[in-house]
Amino acid sequence: MNPLQARQLVIDIPGRGDGEALNFAVEPGQIWGVLGPNGAGKTTLLHTLAGLRAPRHGSVCLGEHPLADLKRRTISQQLGMVFQERQDGFPATVLETALIGRHPWLSPWQMESGADERLARGALEQLDVGHLSDRLVNTLSGGERQRVAIATVLTQAPDTWLLDEPTNHLDLHHQVSVLQLLTEQARSGRSVFMCLHDLNLAARWCDHLLLLYPNGEACWGPAERMLVPAALERLYDQELLTVDVDGAPLFVPVRY
Amino acid sequence: MLKSFRHTAALMSLALAMSPGAVAGTERCATDDTGQEVCLEQPASRIAALSPGATELVWAAGAGDQVIAVVSYSDYPEQAKQVTSVGSHTRMDLERLMALKPDLVIGWVTGNPPEQITALKDLGLPVFSIEPRSFEGVSSTIERLSILAGTEDEGFAEADRFRKGMAALEKQYQGAEPVSVFYQVWDEPLMTVNDEHLIGKVITLCGGVNVFGDLDRLVPRISAEAVIGANPEAILAGGMGEENRHWLTRWEAFQSIDATAKENLYFVPPSLIQRPTPRILKGSQLFCEKLDDARAKR
Amino acid sequence: MSRPLTMPLVLLALASLAAMMLSVGVGSVSVALGDVVAVILGEGSNLQQTLVLELRLPRTLSAFATGGLLAVAGALMQVLLRNPLADPYVLGLSGGAAVGALFAMLAGLGGLMISGSAFAGALLATLMVFGLAHGTGSWTPSRLLLTGVVVAAGWGAVITLMLAISPAQRLPGMLYWLMGDVSYARTPWPALAFLVLVCLLVVPLGRSLNVLARGPMQAAALGVAVRPLEWTIYILASLLTATAVTMAGSIGFVGLVVPHMLRLVLGNDQRLILPACALAGGTLLVLADTLARVVIAPEQLPVGVITALLGVPTFLYLLYRSR
Repeated sequence: MNPLQARQLVIDIPGRGDGEALNFAVEPGQIWGVLGPNGAGKTTLLHTLAGLRAPRHGSVCLGEHPLADLKRRTISQQLGMVFQERQDGFPATVLETALIGRHPWLSPWQMESGADERLARGALEQLDVGHLSDRLVNTLSGGERQRVAIATVLTQAPDTWLLDEPTNHLDLHHQVSVLQLLTEQARSGRSVFMCLHDLNLAARWCDHLLLLYPNGEACWGPAERMLVPAALERLYDQELLTVDVDGAPLFVPVRY
Repeated sequence: MLKSFRHTAALMSLALAMSPGAVAGTERCATDDTGQEVCLEQPASRIAALSPGATELVWAAGAGDQVIAVVSYSDYPEQAKQVTSVGSHTRMDLERLMALKPDLVIGWVTGNPPEQITALKDLGLPVFSIEPRSFEGVSSTIERLSILAGTEDEGFAEADRFRKGMAALEKQYQGAEPVSVFYQVWDEPLMTVNDEHLIGKVITLCGGVNVFGDLDRLVPRISAEAVIGANPEAILAGGMGEENRHWLTRWEAFQSIDATAKENLYFVPPSLIQRPTPRILKGSQLFCEKLDDARAKR
Repeated sequence: MSRPLTMPLVLLALASLAAMMLSVGVGSVSVALGDVVAVILGEGSNLQQTLVLELRLPRTLSAFATGGLLAVAGALMQVLLRNPLADPYVLGLSGGAAVGALFAMLAGLGGLMISGSAFAGALLATLMVFGLAHGTGSWTPSRLLLTGVVVAAGWGAVITLMLAISPAQRLPGMLYWLMGDVSYARTPWPALAFLVLVCLLVVPLGRSLNVLARGPMQAAALGVAVRPLEWTIYILASLLTATAVTMAGSIGFVGLVVPHMLRLVLGNDQRLILPACALAGGTLLVLADTLARVVIAPEQLPVGVITALLGVPTFLYLLYRSR
């Protein structure tokens, strides 16, 4: 597997000066969380790592290969992206939506086979939306739509997962099951890199953290090192109370 | 007896040999207004006339009985209304035309769509395209049509009658005092003719001076202001129908125009003057009378 | 896919064949079906042969080709702009072709020059819109759409100008061209060949188009080379439309309504929709042209009138139902 690496990466946010150069690798088995307030550039970072936006400086690599040198098809076999915003142009069923996850693996002349369909259905079952297979996606609730999007990437089966706020719209039960799914992916040798706006979810489920400050500063590393209350308070510009639950820290904003 | 017979025969063959377009043998040929020569082995017995003007000219040539297809608005002569129509002259029903099995098609140079005329030629039909631009052109067209239709006696006689009539008119009005004229072809948009147009030539023949005569276009579109500025002494107009004098009422509002002040607003039935056919003789006569009327009021 | 792709296509192919047989058999002069078959086999009277082989068959094939070209172009435009209201003319292409054709007519040029000029005008319009939309950096479907709409309006003004200054006798020809008229078309084979070629080309591109229709970011994330594919669709759709408009003027509604109707019935797989559009569009235009020839014979209606009269209520009905 080719780990996703940022090398001297400076993301391009129009109107903002150069941020800190990012240098990290998302190794197999790791689950990374990206934390920061709105406007810090989390989505921009994710899109840059996915090769959908050009960085201002530096490069993104898969293993030894810079993304710019690779064909999109090759990239999409190793990187999967769950977007924050949905773009639904034309109506499609849930099953059809999950099936497009197979696109990177099929040659242009191949039609989707029974095996592909089974993969897609299996993924939909795992995300608890299998019973909606024949519904049109634009008739789903926000949470159901989100789960279909995740099922699509599960069908795609990439080595590295990029997710932009995957727990948005999800109820508590499904939040947990999605994060559980991602943990299992990591355990089977894949890697996960996700933006989260919920600090506590990150604290509980991620083993590595990247903090993105609105002024361009950044720091990253193993979660225990990053979960320093002072740093987090500066990140969110919010006083926090720290509590220990079940061996892991829980952060609660102070109420005045 | 024999001698006079031979005499007549000789005279007849001489006459035949002298008539324009006749060629050795029974083939009859004529050149159309695009320069193409059309030759028929037999006189045309199933003629399709693809414009109202062509219909009139074919009848004038004496070949009315041989016409088997016309287009819409072929309303003169009366008999033409009984003939099968093949649609509009700008978009004909080629199937219906083919089903009528014509052996000669008379087209209008600028009136029929070139694609359909080409299609008819490709299908093997002889197409004779006409569009008289002068009085002599009217006569010559009648004569050439009569050759193709085998009705030379009638055709040549009619052509001659027309020629003589126009010549007489010309002579009559040769020295007439010029009258400045505005001829209105259409109301909205306001259209007139220049000196090159056949109607323009009628104006000149009657001793008129077309105030828009030296404009470039054959049928220019002008404004009411231009007419007021040109200040014609006589205004002649056609109308929507044969009786409709409605267009002239617009000019009654402008007292500054000489024609209005002197009440020289004349109606000429459009069908008598707007088609390049023998009826233009009658139309010219009417036209010249109106101008005489204007002169008398000076 | 579990859904069989071939069944709808077979049905549509049969419908096309039926429509063409109808069109060849119906007209101002009726030719019975048996006689049509006889003519095709080389027999039949001279008149029947002329009617069927020289007048009706080329016209039917041209109508089929034109309808197919326009429907496929419309479907491609709808994918490119991710907008089900797009049609082949939305980017000003028919306006450019019209200006080219009318210009040739004003200059007194004949048949082939008019077609060539129309084609050139169409391509010029395409390049212009693409260049303008691209000019300020990366273009999005909405920028392309806006540019196209404005340029189309510009062409419209030029057309009006040309109609206003043209000599009276040229006007009928110009108006017929603008209204769309299959009776012009002489040889249908190049257009038919092109249509078949594009349908074949669509098979390997089809799934990428499906993915692209979900959104460009999503498509890129799934391995679709978005910009080159969008370019390809744009050029293909433009060539298809230019060919159709050159053959038969600007016939409306086929390119808008046919893809939409098929999508309602057959779903959104472009590998099925695009060939189906070719067949259904062709069938529709053949039927419309038959009506145009026959309904007030011997007067001939331009087929664009029939497609509009059929297309407007159909489209309103579809819109109402989809709510």
